[in-house]
Amino acid sequence: MRKRFHGLKRLKLRQSWNKYNLYNISRAEPPRSQERTFFQQKWTAKALTRAYHGETIREKQWTRMFRRTIKSVVPMDPKYLAEQDGSEQAAGRGSGVDPPPDQKPKMFPKTPYLNMTYAPTERRLDTAIFRALFASSTRQARQFVVHGYVKVNGKQMVYPGYQLNPGDMFQVEPDRVLFATGARKDKAERAAGRRLRAFKVSKKAAANESESDSEPAEPQTPKSEPPPEPTSLNKNPKKDLQSLLSQAKSILSTPSSYLTAHRKQDLRAFQRTVKRTLSRPDALTTTSLDNQLAEITSKMTTQTSSTPSPSSTTPSDIPTLSSPELQAEAATLSPSQLDTLRSALREARENPIDASKPYATPWRPREWMSAFAFVPRYLEVHHKICSAVYIRHPVARPGLAEVPTPYSSELNALAHNWYLRRR
Amino acid sequence: MFRWLNGPGNVFRQPLPGSTNYLNAYDRSGNLLRARDSPKGRNSEGEAEEKDEDKEKDVDEGETNDLEVNVETATVKSKKAQRPSPKAMMDGVPLPKETAEDLMPFPMNRQFRSQAVLSEELKNAIYERVVVQGKSVRNVSAALGVEMRRVGAVVRLKAVEKGWETKGKPLATPYSKAVLSMLPQTPYIPNDPQVHESINDLPVHRATTLQLFHPVSESRHFTRRDAGQAFQRDLKPAEDRIPHTELYQMEKWRYEGMQRDERIQRMREQNEKDIQAKKEKEERRREKEKMEVTRVDHGRSVFRFQDVRVDERVGEDGRGRAGVGARYGIPHQDRKKGQIKIPTKVE
Repeated sequence: MRKRFHGLKRLKLRQSWNKYNLYNISRAEPPRSQERTFFQQKWTAKALTRAYHGETIREKQWTRMFRRTIKSVVPMDPKYLAEQDGSEQAAGRGSGVDPPPDQKPKMFPKTPYLNMTYAPTERRLDTAIFRALFASSTRQARQFVVHGYVKVNGKQMVYPGYQLNPGDMFQVEPDRVLFATGARKDKAERAAGRRLRAFKVSKKAAANESESDSEPAEPQTPKSEPPPEPTSLNKNPKKDLQSLLSQAKSILSTPSSYLTAHRKQDLRAFQRTVKRTLSRPDALTTTSLDNQLAEITSKMTTQTSSTPSPSSTTPSDIPTLSSPELQAEAATLSPSQLDTLRSALREARENPIDASKPYATPWRPREWMSAFAFVPRYLEVHHKICSAVYIRHPVARPGLAEVPTPYSSELNALAHNWYLRRR
Repeated sequence: MFRWLNGPGNVFRQPLPGSTNYLNAYDRSGNLLRARDSPKGRNSEGEAEEKDEDKEKDVDEGETNDLEVNVETATVKSKKAQRPSPKAMMDGVPLPKETAEDLMPFPMNRQFRSQAVLSEELKNAIYERVVVQGKSVRNVSAALGVEMRRVGAVVRLKAVEKGWETKGKPLATPYSKAVLSMLPQTPYIPNDPQVHESINDLPVHRATTLQLFHPVSESRHFTRRDAGQAFQRDLKPAEDRIPHTELYQMEKWRYEGMQRDERIQRMREQNEKDIQAKKEKEERRREKEKMEVTRVDHGRSVFRFQDVRVDERVGEDGRGRAGVGARYGIPHQDRKKGQIKIPTKVE
């Protein structure tokens, strides 16, 4: 990394989510143009814009990539096209009939063509990954590509300079994306991760030793070392579990007279596991919890699917059902607490605590991210699978340019002018 | 810098719940413009907050330049100030919807806006309509106001997601939820589909970017088609170059006074004919490729071998770039220093 990448004296805006960069964007002002020659203005504009757009691309490469032609579109209305054949625009003195003097002519927003100067850089794979919000900076995106975490159309692509074609799908390894966009671990979490790694290494070493001794190592390996006990864990999961437990209790207590024995057993078992996990926070694997939850929810769903059939015969839902058991089920299902319990547990399963991950768990977005979070229209991003499709090249349209650039049209125009000289 | 980050800039530290959170939505002292401007936002809480922040600023300015002290005190204060503000705003008074101004992430660039993305429900609806109900991409695009290429992309991505689900590969759901909550979204309302983007974008043809002086007689009825031909002989008019020509056709028939049922009937017939023709063409192309190209799959890449006659490809002077193999007097460039060998396409 070069020195003073996010300088505070000489502002260079960068493609990154850094808080220094946010501060710089918030206070950046267009460079002064008075008492400066045209050349000087162009030079400054080029320097500033290039620091943002593809600063990893060498100047010679960029000048080769630069195109003076700019893609643009005009939205069309099929109704207008059907009703007019265009001759009304050639009426009068050749450019349409003038509106009556008391009416103002209709203003059509201008197309900001010159904001599209750096459109060719948006085609690069690393830039597209950054724009799809899969990495916190273009440099990080570049690293992901080089390290082999990125696929294009299902094939590994290790060139950050690969020019995406319309219709190309790129995928980044979700773990890397979560790392790039997630909050950082704090000191205790890092220590827990280290302990976990050390434990794994020692276990492996023990296994290797036993193999080299060529002895049946069945009794030795499990006893080799006690599991690590991370003393300090994130307090949020604990709280979550506690709230879940209290919810389960409330479920058990409220419709107690209607609950079937089997159901009570289920819920009690669930309660027990929650208690156990609470007392021993290092065992938060959530797998056993998950299994139980899955069982309970499957039962719930089967019962919900079975309940409507008798209820459909009678107009009122809960009070008159065929059997008292079904009625009890309906009564237990009706409180919204059950739903909240289910959703909370689902969330806990989707976003588990895992000290082995390189980011803070449960995952949460990193700080300062929201100010940079936008997805340009030329990409269709599916964040769930960390994949995106480059659907078309960026275009300019009336009043809107699709290339995300922090600089104004004037500055982009000057930069465009600078690069025109070669061709 | 830290004075800004812990003072007015602190609003960007965490996302604003249920809303976007861009630089241009705030004023210099870190107040949300639309919360301040709306009459509802002018309640006692908001004023109290503003006063608090004013006090903070005063204190900040009064402090010495000792950076660490400044930072520590400021963080404590900011935590106090920051915690209640978004919640209070969200719980007490719902924030008004973002204006175009609020969606500008770069204050200097007024021509760039953060545009809405498809919400998860809309994506599901697209996938269901295309894959489950078997509707054409063109129909779905017109019905939901989503570009055709985007519809295709959504279907493809959704299919990948389903594949992951069946395989049991973990999805990045928390990440997806967090990111989508930071972005403007197009909701899916089943009975009243919102237009996501303009689906009839006419690409500006290069021949039309130059100004042209084309004198015609005053009596002539000079139409769009004529104008296109004046620019370039074979340049089609806009109605033939927009993506959804069928929408134009329907409007045209309506304008000509055709009844609704008849219009739909004719459109259906035309669609069927088009689809049939396309299928046949695709079939022919595939068969031809099968005959000519041998594919060898190596996991990371697929090699395609094709018989080529060099003299057909090199052109009249024998120096055409499409020609392959060693040719006398035509040196190969690909072993030269500095030649870039990044693939240009992945299939």
